[in-house]
Amino acid sequence: MLSRRDFLKLVVKGAILGNFYQLISPPLAEAVAAGEVKKLPVVMIETGTCTGDSISLDNIWTPTFSDILTNILDWRYDWTMNQVQGEAAYRILQDTYENMPNEYILIVQGSMIQRDAGHYNHVAYENGKLITGIELVRRIGLKAKYVVAIGSCATYGGPVSGYPNPTQSTGVQNILPERRVINVSGCPAHPDWIMGTLLHLALYGEPELEKFGRPKLFYGETVHNRCPRRKDYDQGIFATEIGQKECLFRVGCKGPVTYADCPIRRWNDRFNWPIGCNTPCIGCTEPGYPDLMSPFTAHLPDIPFPGGTKVNTDAIGLGVLGLTSIAITGHITTSLFKGRIQKNLLKTSVKAQHRPALKKVKTFHQYWPKKS
Amino acid sequence: MKHHIKLRKPLMKQLKKSNVKGTIVQSQPLWVRIFHWGFTASLTIVILSGLQLHKPASFLALNFSKVLTAHIVFGWFSLGFLAIRIADSFIRRDDSLIPKIQDLRHFPQLMSYCFFLRSSPPPARKYNSGQLLIYFSWFVLFLLSSFLGLVSYWQGEHLIWVWRLIGGFQVLRWTKFITTIYFLATIPIHIYLSLTEDISRLQAMVTGYERKSPPNNR
Repeated sequence: MLSRRDFLKLVVKGAILGNFYQLISPPLAEAVAAGEVKKLPVVMIETGTCTGDSISLDNIWTPTFSDILTNILDWRYDWTMNQVQGEAAYRILQDTYENMPNEYILIVQGSMIQRDAGHYNHVAYENGKLITGIELVRRIGLKAKYVVAIGSCATYGGPVSGYPNPTQSTGVQNILPERRVINVSGCPAHPDWIMGTLLHLALYGEPELEKFGRPKLFYGETVHNRCPRRKDYDQGIFATEIGQKECLFRVGCKGPVTYADCPIRRWNDRFNWPIGCNTPCIGCTEPGYPDLMSPFTAHLPDIPFPGGTKVNTDAIGLGVLGLTSIAITGHITTSLFKGRIQKNLLKTSVKAQHRPALKKVKTFHQYWPKKS
Repeated sequence: MKHHIKLRKPLMKQLKKSNVKGTIVQSQPLWVRIFHWGFTASLTIVILSGLQLHKPASFLALNFSKVLTAHIVFGWFSLGFLAIRIADSFIRRDDSLIPKIQDLRHFPQLMSYCFFLRSSPPPARKYNSGQLLIYFSWFVLFLLSSFLGLVSYWQGEHLIWVWRLIGGFQVLRWTKFITTIYFLATIPIHIYLSLTEDISRLQAMVTGYERKSPPNNR
Protein backbone atom coordinates (compact mmCIF):
# COMPACT_ATOMS: atom_id res chain seq x y z
CA MET A 1 0.00 0.00 0.00
CA LEU A 2 1.07 3.59 -0.56
CA SER A 3 2.75 5.34 2.35
CA ARG A 4 1.23 8.59 3.55
CA ARG A 5 4.23 10.51 2.23
CA ASP A 6 3.74 8.95 -1.25
CA PHE A 7 0.05 9.80 -1.06
CA LEU A 8 0.80 13.47 -0.29
CA LYS A 9 3.27 13.53 -3.20
CA LEU A 10 0.58 12.17 -5.49
CA VAL A 11 -1.82 14.89 -4.32
CA VAL A 12 0.57 17.58 -5.56
CA LYS A 13 1.73 15.64 -8.63
CA GLY A 14 -1.88 14.86 -9.54
CA ALA A 15 -2.78 18.53 -9.19
CA ILE A 16 -0.06 19.57 -11.60
CA LEU A 17 -0.60 16.79 -14.11
CA GLY A 18 -4.36 16.76 -13.66
CA ASN A 19 -4.60 13.00 -13.21
CA PHE A 20 -4.86 12.62 -9.45
CA TYR A 21 -7.32 9.72 -9.60
CA GLN A 22 -5.44 8.02 -12.36
CA LEU A 23 -2.37 8.03 -10.14
CA ILE A 24 -4.11 7.09 -6.94
CA SER A 25 -6.62 4.50 -8.16
CA PRO A 26 -4.45 1.51 -9.15
CA PRO A 27 -2.51 1.20 -5.86
CA LEU A 28 -5.67 1.88 -3.93
CA ALA A 29 -7.74 -0.70 -5.79
CA GLU A 30 -4.93 -3.22 -5.23
CA ALA A 31 -4.91 -2.44 -1.52
CA VAL A 32 -8.69 -2.84 -1.37
CA ALA A 33 -8.49 -6.12 -3.29
CA ALA A 34 -5.73 -7.39 -0.98
CA GLY A 35 -7.85 -6.52 2.03
CA GLU A 36 -5.32 -3.98 3.33
CA VAL A 37 -7.94 -1.25 3.19
CA LYS A 38 -11.56 -1.72 4.02
CA LYS A 39 -14.05 0.01 1.78
CA LEU A 40 -15.34 2.82 3.92
CA PRO A 41 -19.11 3.14 4.15
CA VAL A 42 -20.21 6.66 3.27
CA VAL A 43 -23.57 8.35 3.80
CA MET A 44 -24.36 11.82 2.53
CA ILE A 45 -27.07 14.05 3.95
CA GLU A 46 -28.16 17.06 1.97
CA THR A 47 -29.63 19.94 3.93
CA GLY A 48 -29.93 23.58 2.77
CA THR A 49 -28.11 23.12 -0.52
CA CYS A 50 -28.21 23.57 -4.28
CA THR A 51 -26.58 20.10 -4.76
CA GLY A 52 -23.68 21.85 -6.46
CA ASP A 53 -21.10 19.76 -4.61
CA SER A 54 -22.68 16.53 -5.85
CA ILE A 55 -22.53 17.85 -9.40
CA SER A 56 -18.92 18.90 -8.83
CA LEU A 57 -18.06 15.47 -7.45
CA ASP A 58 -19.75 13.81 -10.39
CA ASN A 59 -17.35 15.66 -12.70
CA ILE A 60 -14.40 13.49 -11.72
CA TRP A 61 -12.56 12.20 -14.73
CA THR A 62 -10.41 9.14 -15.03
CA PRO A 63 -11.51 7.16 -13.22
CA THR A 64 -15.13 8.07 -13.23
CA PHE A 65 -17.23 8.42 -10.13
CA SER A 66 -18.66 4.93 -10.71
CA ASP A 67 -15.13 3.46 -10.62
CA ILE A 68 -14.60 5.03 -7.23
CA LEU A 69 -17.92 3.74 -5.95
CA THR A 70 -17.14 0.25 -7.20
CA ASN A 71 -13.54 -0.01 -6.07
CA ILE A 72 -12.76 2.35 -3.25
CA LEU A 73 -15.73 3.52 -1.24
CA ASP A 74 -18.99 1.97 -0.14
CA TRP A 75 -21.32 4.82 -1.12
CA ARG A 76 -24.51 3.91 0.72
CA TYR A 77 -26.86 6.85 0.94
CA ASP A 78 -26.91 9.92 -1.28
CA TRP A 79 -30.04 11.56 -2.69
CA THR A 80 -28.43 12.39 -6.00
CA MET A 81 -26.92 8.94 -6.53
CA ASN A 82 -29.51 6.68 -4.88
CA GLN A 83 -30.82 3.82 -6.98
CA VAL A 84 -33.86 3.46 -4.74
CA GLN A 85 -36.15 6.05 -3.25
CA GLY A 86 -38.51 6.69 -0.37
CA GLU A 87 -38.57 4.34 2.58
CA ALA A 88 -36.24 1.81 0.98
CA ALA A 89 -33.54 4.43 0.63
CA TYR A 90 -34.08 5.78 4.12
CA ARG A 91 -33.85 2.24 5.51
CA ILE A 92 -30.27 2.02 4.17
CA LEU A 93 -29.37 5.10 6.15
CA GLN A 94 -31.00 3.68 9.26
CA ASP A 95 -29.21 0.33 8.79
CA THR A 96 -25.86 2.06 8.47
CA TYR A 97 -26.58 4.12 11.58
CA GLU A 98 -27.66 1.13 13.64
CA ASN A 99 -25.30 -1.58 12.39
CA MET A 100 -22.11 0.34 11.62
CA PRO A 101 -21.57 2.79 14.48
CA ASN A 102 -18.14 4.48 14.39
CA GLU A 103 -17.43 2.90 11.01
CA TYR A 104 -19.13 5.12 8.47
CA ILE A 105 -18.25 8.57 7.20
CA LEU A 106 -20.98 11.17 7.30
CA ILE A 107 -20.79 13.73 4.50
CA VAL A 108 -22.97 16.77 4.92
CA GLN A 109 -23.79 19.01 2.01
CA GLY A 110 -25.76 22.19 2.66
CA SER A 111 -26.14 24.64 5.51
CA MET A 112 -27.75 23.91 8.85
CA ILE A 113 -31.03 25.80 8.93
CA GLN A 114 -31.78 26.64 12.54
CA ARG A 115 -34.73 29.02 12.49
CA ASP A 116 -37.91 27.68 14.09
CA ALA A 117 -36.06 24.56 15.26
CA GLY A 118 -34.98 23.81 11.69
CA HIS A 119 -38.48 23.30 10.30
CA TYR A 120 -37.68 25.10 7.06
CA ASN A 121 -35.54 22.13 6.08
CA HIS A 122 -37.10 18.67 6.28
CA VAL A 123 -34.88 15.86 5.07
CA ALA A 124 -36.70 12.67 6.06
CA TYR A 125 -40.04 11.23 7.03
CA GLU A 126 -39.93 8.79 9.91
CA ASN A 127 -42.83 7.19 11.76
CA GLY A 128 -45.24 9.85 10.54
CA LYS A 129 -42.95 12.65 11.63
CA LEU A 130 -40.92 15.06 9.53
CA ILE A 131 -37.24 15.04 10.47
CA THR A 132 -35.30 18.29 10.22
CA GLY A 133 -31.82 18.60 8.74
CA ILE A 134 -30.16 19.61 12.03
CA GLU A 135 -31.84 16.72 13.87
CA LEU A 136 -30.71 14.10 11.36
CA VAL A 137 -27.18 15.47 11.05
CA ARG A 138 -26.77 15.51 14.82
CA ARG A 139 -28.14 12.01 15.22
CA ILE A 140 -26.10 10.41 12.42
CA GLY A 141 -23.05 12.61 13.10
CA LEU A 142 -22.66 11.59 16.74
CA LYS A 143 -22.16 7.95 15.76
CA ALA A 144 -20.03 8.53 12.65
CA LYS A 145 -16.34 7.72 12.49
CA TYR A 146 -15.67 10.97 10.66
CA VAL A 147 -17.90 13.91 9.82
CA VAL A 148 -17.02 15.72 6.62
CA ALA A 149 -18.76 18.95 5.62
CA ILE A 150 -18.46 19.69 1.91
CA GLY A 151 -19.11 23.00 0.21
CA SER A 152 -19.34 26.52 1.59
CA CYS A 153 -22.82 26.03 3.02
CA ALA A 154 -22.04 22.97 5.11
CA THR A 155 -18.68 24.30 6.28
CA TYR A 156 -19.42 27.89 7.25
CA GLY A 157 -23.02 28.63 6.25
CA GLY A 158 -22.19 29.88 2.75
CA PRO A 159 -24.61 31.84 0.57
CA VAL A 160 -27.58 30.43 2.50
CA SER A 161 -26.36 32.26 5.62
CA GLY A 162 -25.77 35.51 3.74
CA TYR A 163 -26.97 38.77 5.26
CA PRO A 164 -29.57 39.12 6.76
CA ASN A 165 -29.65 35.33 7.13
CA PRO A 166 -33.43 34.92 7.54
CA THR A 167 -33.13 31.17 8.11
CA GLN A 168 -30.37 31.53 10.76
CA SER A 169 -28.22 29.12 8.81
CA THR A 170 -24.81 28.02 9.96
CA GLY A 171 -22.11 25.42 9.38
CA VAL A 172 -22.10 21.82 10.61
CA GLN A 173 -19.41 22.42 13.23
CA ASN A 174 -21.72 24.81 15.09
CA ILE A 175 -24.44 22.23 15.52
CA LEU A 176 -22.02 19.39 16.25
CA PRO A 177 -19.67 20.97 18.79
CA GLU A 178 -18.89 17.55 20.31
CA ARG A 179 -17.23 16.34 17.09
CA ARG A 180 -14.34 17.61 15.05
CA VAL A 181 -15.81 18.32 11.61
CA ILE A 182 -13.49 18.14 8.61
CA ASN A 183 -14.35 21.10 6.42
CA VAL A 184 -13.93 20.77 2.67
CA SER A 185 -15.03 24.25 1.68
CA GLY A 186 -15.65 25.79 -1.72
CA CYS A 187 -18.61 26.86 -3.78
CA PRO A 188 -18.64 24.17 -4.95
CA ALA A 189 -15.85 22.10 -3.43
CA HIS A 190 -13.39 20.75 -6.01
CA PRO A 191 -13.90 17.00 -6.67
CA ASP A 192 -10.22 16.41 -5.86
CA TRP A 193 -10.65 18.06 -2.47
CA ILE A 194 -13.67 15.93 -1.60
CA MET A 195 -12.34 12.64 -2.90
CA GLY A 196 -8.77 13.31 -1.75
CA THR A 197 -10.02 13.91 1.79
CA LEU A 198 -12.13 10.73 1.69
CA LEU A 199 -9.17 8.71 0.39
CA HIS A 200 -6.95 10.11 3.13
CA LEU A 201 -9.57 9.12 5.69
CA ALA A 202 -9.78 5.61 4.20
CA LEU A 203 -6.03 5.11 4.07
CA TYR A 204 -4.47 7.09 6.89
CA GLY A 205 -7.25 8.55 9.02
CA GLU A 206 -7.80 12.21 9.68
CA PRO A 207 -5.60 14.55 7.62
CA GLU A 208 -3.75 17.46 9.18
CA LEU A 209 -6.21 20.32 9.43
CA GLU A 210 -5.56 24.06 9.27
CA LYS A 211 -7.03 26.88 11.33
CA PHE A 212 -10.57 26.59 10.00
CA GLY A 213 -10.73 22.79 10.06
CA ARG A 214 -9.75 22.26 6.40
CA PRO A 215 -7.21 19.67 5.22
CA LYS A 216 -3.84 21.39 4.89
CA LEU A 217 -2.94 19.34 1.84
CA PHE A 218 -5.52 21.26 -0.21
CA TYR A 219 -5.92 24.52 1.73
CA GLY A 220 -2.39 25.15 2.97
CA GLU A 221 -1.50 28.16 0.76
CA THR A 222 -3.25 31.26 -0.46
CA VAL A 223 -4.36 31.48 -4.06
CA HIS A 224 -2.25 34.65 -4.29
CA ASN A 225 0.98 32.88 -3.37
CA ARG A 226 0.62 30.31 -6.13
CA CYS A 227 -1.05 32.54 -8.69
CA PRO A 228 0.62 32.61 -12.12
CA ARG A 229 -0.07 36.36 -12.18
CA ARG A 230 1.82 36.98 -8.94
CA LYS A 231 4.70 38.49 -10.93
CA ASP A 232 2.31 41.17 -12.23
CA TYR A 233 1.31 42.00 -8.65
CA ASP A 234 4.93 42.23 -7.55
CA GLN A 235 5.75 44.56 -10.42
CA GLY A 236 2.62 46.67 -9.95
CA ILE A 237 0.98 45.67 -13.25
CA PHE A 238 -2.76 45.59 -12.68
CA ALA A 239 -5.85 44.99 -14.73
CA THR A 240 -8.21 47.94 -14.58
CA GLU A 241 -11.20 45.96 -15.80
CA ILE A 242 -12.36 42.39 -15.57
CA GLY A 243 -11.32 40.47 -18.67
CA GLN A 244 -7.79 41.84 -18.85
CA LYS A 245 -4.78 39.59 -18.60
CA GLU A 246 -2.89 41.33 -15.79
CA CYS A 247 -3.14 40.85 -12.02
CA LEU A 248 -6.80 41.23 -11.00
CA PHE A 249 -6.09 42.61 -7.50
CA ARG A 250 -7.41 46.07 -8.28
CA VAL A 251 -10.69 44.69 -9.55
CA GLY A 252 -11.34 42.86 -6.29
CA CYS A 253 -9.47 39.55 -6.54
CA LYS A 254 -9.67 37.81 -3.14
CA GLY A 255 -6.64 35.59 -3.86
CA PRO A 256 -4.57 37.20 -1.07
CA VAL A 257 -7.11 36.18 1.58
CA THR A 258 -8.24 32.84 0.13
CA TYR A 259 -6.71 29.50 0.98
CA ALA A 260 -7.04 26.90 -1.79
CA ASP A 261 -4.85 25.21 -4.38
CA CYS A 262 -6.93 26.31 -7.38
CA PRO A 263 -3.92 27.84 -9.21
CA ILE A 264 -2.20 24.47 -9.53
CA ARG A 265 -5.20 22.13 -9.49
CA ARG A 266 -7.56 24.21 -11.62
CA TRP A 267 -11.08 23.18 -12.56
CA ASN A 268 -13.04 21.23 -15.17
CA ASP A 269 -10.42 18.53 -15.50
CA ARG A 270 -7.68 21.14 -15.08
CA PHE A 271 -8.66 23.05 -18.22
CA ASN A 272 -9.21 26.40 -16.58
CA TRP A 273 -9.97 28.33 -13.43
CA PRO A 274 -11.46 31.78 -12.64
CA ILE A 275 -8.26 33.81 -12.92
CA GLY A 276 -7.33 31.83 -16.03
CA CYS A 277 -10.42 33.28 -17.71
CA ASN A 278 -9.65 36.78 -16.38
CA THR A 279 -12.20 37.04 -13.58
CA PRO A 280 -11.14 37.65 -9.97
CA CYS A 281 -11.11 34.96 -7.31
CA ILE A 282 -14.25 35.46 -5.17
CA GLY A 283 -12.86 33.72 -2.08
CA CYS A 284 -15.46 30.95 -2.02
CA THR A 285 -13.44 28.68 0.29
CA GLU A 286 -13.20 31.16 3.14
CA PRO A 287 -15.40 31.49 6.21
CA GLY A 288 -17.74 34.45 5.85
CA TYR A 289 -18.21 33.90 2.11
CA PRO A 290 -20.11 35.55 0.43
CA ASP A 291 -20.77 38.50 2.77
CA LEU A 292 -17.14 39.17 3.59
CA MET A 293 -16.12 38.79 -0.04
CA SER A 294 -18.82 40.87 -1.70
CA PRO A 295 -18.91 42.93 -3.75
CA PHE A 296 -16.65 40.63 -5.72
CA THR A 297 -15.18 43.55 -7.60
CA ALA A 298 -13.99 45.50 -4.51
CA HIS A 299 -11.25 44.72 -1.99
CA LEU A 300 -13.13 45.08 1.22
CA PRO A 301 -16.65 43.96 2.06
CA ASP A 302 -19.64 46.26 2.19
CA ILE A 303 -20.83 47.23 5.65
CA PRO A 304 -24.45 46.33 6.32
CA PHE A 305 -26.50 48.95 8.16
CA PRO A 306 -29.83 48.39 9.89
CA GLY A 307 -32.62 48.46 7.34
CA GLY A 308 -30.73 46.46 4.75
CA THR A 309 -28.56 49.28 3.35
CA LYS A 310 -25.02 48.29 2.47
CA VAL A 311 -22.26 50.82 2.09
CA ASN A 312 -18.95 50.27 0.36
CA THR A 313 -15.95 50.47 2.71
CA ASP A 314 -14.04 52.82 0.40
CA ALA A 315 -17.07 55.11 0.29
CA ILE A 316 -17.10 55.21 4.11
CA GLY A 317 -13.41 56.12 4.12
CA LEU A 318 -13.81 58.86 1.53
CA GLY A 319 -16.92 60.14 3.32
CA VAL A 320 -15.07 60.46 6.65
CA LEU A 321 -12.12 62.23 5.01
CA GLY A 322 -14.50 64.54 3.14
CA LEU A 323 -16.31 65.45 6.37
CA THR A 324 -12.98 66.18 8.08
CA SER A 325 -11.93 68.45 5.21
CA ILE A 326 -15.24 70.31 5.31
CA ALA A 327 -15.02 70.67 9.11
CA ILE A 328 -11.47 72.06 9.00
CA THR A 329 -12.27 74.46 6.16
CA GLY A 330 -15.37 75.67 8.00
CA HIS A 331 -13.41 76.16 11.20
CA ILE A 332 -10.63 78.09 9.48
CA THR A 333 -13.17 80.38 7.83
CA THR A 334 -15.05 81.05 11.07
CA SER A 335 -11.80 81.53 13.01
CA LEU A 336 -10.56 84.08 10.49
CA PHE A 337 -13.91 85.85 10.52
CA LYS A 338 -14.01 86.01 14.30
CA GLY A 339 -10.35 86.94 14.53
CA ARG A 340 -9.41 83.92 16.62
CA ILE A 341 -6.49 82.85 14.48
CA GLN A 342 -5.07 86.38 14.40
CA LYS A 343 -5.50 86.72 18.17
CA ASN A 344 -3.91 83.35 18.89
CA LEU A 345 -0.96 84.02 16.62
CA LEU A 346 -0.33 87.43 18.14
CA LYS A 347 -0.66 86.07 21.63
CA THR A 348 1.59 83.09 21.16
CA SER A 349 4.24 84.40 18.79
CA VAL A 350 7.36 86.35 19.79
CA LYS A 351 7.38 90.12 19.45
CA ALA A 352 10.12 91.89 17.54
CA GLN A 353 13.31 92.84 19.34
CA HIS A 354 13.38 96.09 21.38
CA ARG A 355 9.60 96.24 21.39
CA PRO A 356 8.65 94.73 24.70
CA ALA A 357 4.95 94.69 25.28
CA LEU A 358 4.06 96.53 28.40
CA LYS A 359 0.91 96.90 30.23
CA LYS A 360 0.37 100.29 31.71
CA VAL A 361 -0.34 99.70 35.35
CA LYS A 362 -0.48 103.15 36.75
CA THR A 363 -0.10 106.57 35.30
CA PHE A 364 1.51 109.26 37.34
CA HIS A 365 0.42 112.78 36.69
CA GLN A 366 2.53 115.61 37.81
CA TYR A 367 0.92 118.93 38.46
CA TRP A 368 2.80 122.15 38.61
CA PRO A 369 1.47 125.40 40.05
CA LYS A 370 0.64 127.98 37.46
CA LYS A 371 2.95 130.82 37.22
CA SER A 372 0.96 133.80 38.01
CA MET B 1 -1.20 117.29 29.17
CA LYS B 2 2.10 115.56 29.49
CA HIS B 3 2.19 111.97 30.64
CA HIS B 4 5.20 110.42 32.21
CA ILE B 5 5.68 106.71 32.52
CA LYS B 6 7.96 105.85 35.34
CA LEU B 7 9.46 102.41 35.39
CA ARG B 8 11.86 100.98 37.86
CA LYS B 9 15.34 100.63 36.52
CA PRO B 10 15.77 96.86 37.02
CA LEU B 11 12.52 96.20 35.19
CA MET B 12 13.53 98.40 32.35
CA LYS B 13 16.83 96.61 32.14
CA GLN B 14 15.14 93.22 32.08
CA LEU B 15 12.76 94.24 29.37
CA LYS B 16 15.48 95.66 27.24
CA LYS B 17 17.59 92.59 27.65
CA SER B 18 14.77 90.27 26.67
CA ASN B 19 12.85 90.41 23.48
CA VAL B 20 10.32 87.91 24.71
CA LYS B 21 7.07 88.43 26.45
CA GLY B 22 6.41 85.91 29.19
CA THR B 23 8.69 83.17 30.46
CA ILE B 24 10.55 80.42 28.68
CA VAL B 25 10.01 76.93 30.01
CA GLN B 26 11.15 73.56 28.78
CA SER B 27 8.08 71.83 27.48
CA GLN B 28 9.20 68.91 25.33
CA PRO B 29 12.31 66.97 26.36
CA LEU B 30 14.64 65.61 23.71
CA TRP B 31 13.28 62.05 23.68
CA VAL B 32 9.73 63.30 23.24
CA ARG B 33 10.81 65.33 20.24
CA ILE B 34 12.73 62.39 18.79
CA PHE B 35 9.61 60.24 19.23
CA HIS B 36 7.31 62.86 17.72
CA TRP B 37 9.21 63.50 14.53
CA GLY B 38 10.44 59.91 14.11
CA PHE B 39 6.94 58.57 14.60
CA THR B 40 5.52 61.21 12.25
CA ALA B 41 7.87 60.23 9.44
CA SER B 42 7.47 56.48 9.96
CA LEU B 43 3.71 56.60 10.32
CA THR B 44 3.38 58.70 7.18
CA ILE B 45 5.24 56.03 5.20
CA VAL B 46 3.24 53.25 6.88
CA ILE B 47 -0.08 54.92 6.00
CA LEU B 48 0.87 55.81 2.44
CA SER B 49 2.35 52.38 1.69
CA GLY B 50 -0.69 50.74 3.32
CA LEU B 51 -3.02 52.72 1.08
CA GLN B 52 -0.91 51.77 -1.93
CA LEU B 53 -1.18 48.10 -0.92
CA HIS B 54 -4.92 48.50 -0.42
CA LYS B 55 -5.64 50.21 -3.71
CA PRO B 56 -2.61 50.41 -5.98
CA ALA B 57 -2.27 53.58 -7.97
CA SER B 58 -1.39 52.50 -11.49
CA PHE B 59 0.37 55.75 -12.36
CA LEU B 60 2.95 55.07 -9.63
CA ALA B 61 3.75 51.57 -10.97
CA LEU B 62 5.60 50.74 -7.78
CA ASN B 63 7.13 47.36 -7.15
CA PHE B 64 4.73 45.78 -4.70
CA SER B 65 7.12 43.60 -2.83
CA LYS B 66 9.17 46.75 -2.12
CA VAL B 67 6.07 48.65 -0.98
CA LEU B 68 5.22 45.79 1.35
CA THR B 69 8.78 45.73 2.66
CA ALA B 70 8.66 49.50 3.29
CA HIS B 71 5.29 49.10 5.03
CA ILE B 72 6.63 46.43 7.37
CA VAL B 73 10.03 48.06 8.02
CA PHE B 74 8.54 51.48 8.84
CA GLY B 75 5.86 49.77 10.92
CA TRP B 76 8.68 48.40 13.07
CA PHE B 77 10.34 51.84 13.17
CA SER B 78 7.08 53.40 14.37
CA LEU B 79 6.80 50.77 17.07
CA GLY B 80 10.39 51.51 18.09
CA PHE B 81 9.68 55.25 18.41
CA LEU B 82 6.55 54.48 20.37
CA ALA B 83 8.57 52.26 22.70
CA ILE B 84 10.97 55.21 23.26
CA ARG B 85 8.06 57.45 24.24
CA ILE B 86 6.60 54.86 26.60
CA ALA B 87 9.99 54.25 28.23
CA ASP B 88 10.53 58.00 28.55
CA SER B 89 7.13 58.38 30.25
CA PHE B 90 8.06 55.73 32.79
CA ILE B 91 11.48 57.25 33.46
CA ARG B 92 10.17 60.79 33.88
CA ARG B 93 6.96 59.57 35.50
CA ASP B 94 5.11 61.59 32.93
CA ASP B 95 1.38 61.01 32.82
CA SER B 96 0.57 64.02 30.68
CA LEU B 97 -0.79 61.84 27.86
CA ILE B 98 -3.10 59.73 29.98
CA PRO B 99 -6.62 61.13 30.15
CA LYS B 100 -8.03 61.52 33.65
CA ILE B 101 -11.60 62.07 34.70
CA GLN B 102 -10.98 65.68 35.74
CA ASP B 103 -9.56 66.31 32.25
CA LEU B 104 -12.64 64.90 30.60
CA ARG B 105 -14.90 67.06 32.74
CA HIS B 106 -13.70 70.04 30.76
CA PHE B 107 -14.51 68.39 27.44
CA PRO B 108 -17.94 70.07 26.99
CA GLN B 109 -16.35 73.48 27.64
CA LEU B 110 -13.64 72.69 25.15
CA MET B 111 -16.26 71.81 22.57
CA SER B 112 -18.01 75.12 23.32
CA TYR B 113 -14.72 76.86 22.61
CA CYS B 114 -14.25 74.91 19.37
CA PHE B 115 -17.73 75.85 18.23
CA PHE B 116 -17.14 79.54 19.10
CA LEU B 117 -19.55 79.56 22.04
CA ARG B 118 -16.73 80.52 24.44
CA SER B 119 -13.96 82.99 23.89
CA SER B 120 -11.21 81.10 25.69
CA PRO B 121 -10.41 77.42 26.17
CA PRO B 122 -11.03 75.84 29.59
CA PRO B 123 -8.06 75.37 31.95
CA ALA B 124 -6.08 72.21 31.29
CA ARG B 125 -2.96 70.36 32.28
CA LYS B 126 -0.25 70.12 29.66
CA TYR B 127 -2.78 68.97 27.06
CA ASN B 128 -6.49 69.72 26.89
CA SER B 129 -9.15 67.01 26.99
CA GLY B 130 -9.56 66.88 23.20
CA GLN B 131 -5.82 66.46 22.67
CA LEU B 132 -5.69 63.78 25.36
CA LEU B 133 -8.52 61.81 23.78
CA ILE B 134 -6.98 61.94 20.31
CA TYR B 135 -3.39 61.24 21.39
CA PHE B 136 -4.38 58.39 23.67
CA SER B 137 -6.61 56.85 20.98
CA TRP B 138 -3.67 57.02 18.55
CA PHE B 139 -1.49 55.08 20.95
CA VAL B 140 -4.13 52.41 21.47
CA LEU B 141 -5.13 52.14 17.81
CA PHE B 142 -1.57 52.10 16.57
CA LEU B 143 -0.74 49.23 18.91
CA LEU B 144 -3.91 47.40 17.80
CA SER B 145 -3.10 47.94 14.12
CA SER B 146 0.46 46.77 14.60
CA PHE B 147 -0.80 43.66 16.32
CA LEU B 148 -3.25 42.98 13.50
CA GLY B 149 -0.45 43.66 11.05
CA LEU B 150 1.61 40.94 12.69
CA VAL B 151 -1.37 38.60 12.55
CA SER B 152 -1.79 39.19 8.81
CA TYR B 153 1.96 38.96 8.26
CA TRP B 154 2.07 35.51 9.84
CA GLN B 155 -0.89 34.38 7.70
CA GLY B 156 -2.41 32.16 10.34
CA GLU B 157 0.86 30.47 11.26
CA HIS B 158 0.75 32.14 14.64
CA LEU B 159 -1.98 33.98 16.56
CA ILE B 160 -4.69 31.92 14.89
CA TRP B 161 -7.04 32.77 17.75
CA VAL B 162 -7.06 36.40 16.60
CA TRP B 163 -8.30 35.33 13.15
CA ARG B 164 -11.05 33.32 14.74
CA LEU B 165 -11.88 36.05 17.25
CA ILE B 166 -12.37 38.81 14.73
CA GLY B 167 -13.89 36.60 12.02
CA GLY B 168 -11.26 36.01 9.37
CA PHE B 169 -8.76 37.80 7.20
CA GLN B 170 -11.25 40.09 5.46
CA VAL B 171 -12.47 41.50 8.80
CA LEU B 172 -8.85 41.97 9.81
CA ARG B 173 -8.17 43.98 6.64
CA TRP B 174 -11.36 45.95 7.21
CA THR B 175 -10.35 46.78 10.82
CA LYS B 176 -6.94 48.01 9.68
CA PHE B 177 -8.54 50.09 6.95
CA ILE B 178 -10.96 51.77 9.37
CA THR B 179 -8.06 52.50 11.76
CA THR B 180 -6.17 54.11 8.87
CA ILE B 181 -9.18 56.27 8.06
CA TYR B 182 -9.34 57.33 11.71
CA PHE B 183 -5.68 58.37 11.59
CA LEU B 184 -6.19 60.18 8.29
CA ALA B 185 -9.20 62.03 9.69
CA THR B 186 -7.58 63.10 12.98
CA ILE B 187 -4.02 63.92 11.87
CA PRO B 188 -5.12 66.94 9.77
CA ILE B 189 -7.10 68.24 12.76
CA HIS B 190 -3.95 67.91 14.89
CA ILE B 191 -1.86 69.79 12.32
CA TYR B 192 -4.48 72.48 11.86
CA LEU B 193 -4.90 73.16 15.59
CA SER B 194 -1.12 73.06 16.18
CA LEU B 195 -0.68 75.81 13.62
CA THR B 196 -3.57 78.01 14.68
CA GLU B 197 -4.05 77.62 18.43
CA ASP B 198 -0.66 77.98 20.09
CA ILE B 199 2.25 78.31 17.73
CA SER B 200 4.75 78.33 20.58
CA ARG B 201 3.70 74.74 21.31
CA LEU B 202 4.77 73.82 17.80
CA GLN B 203 8.04 75.64 18.39
CA ALA B 204 8.49 73.59 21.55
CA MET B 205 8.29 70.41 19.49
CA VAL B 206 11.36 71.65 17.57
CA THR B 207 13.44 73.53 20.16
CA GLY B 208 12.02 71.95 23.28
CA TYR B 209 11.17 75.33 24.81
CA GLU B 210 7.83 77.00 25.04
CA ARG B 211 7.01 80.60 25.86
CA LYS B 212 4.37 80.90 28.53
CA SER B 213 2.52 84.13 28.98
CA PRO B 214 2.35 85.33 32.57
CA PRO B 215 -1.19 85.05 33.91
CA ASN B 216 -1.64 88.79 34.48
CA ASN B 217 -0.52 89.54 30.98
CA ARG B 218 -3.23 87.64 29.14
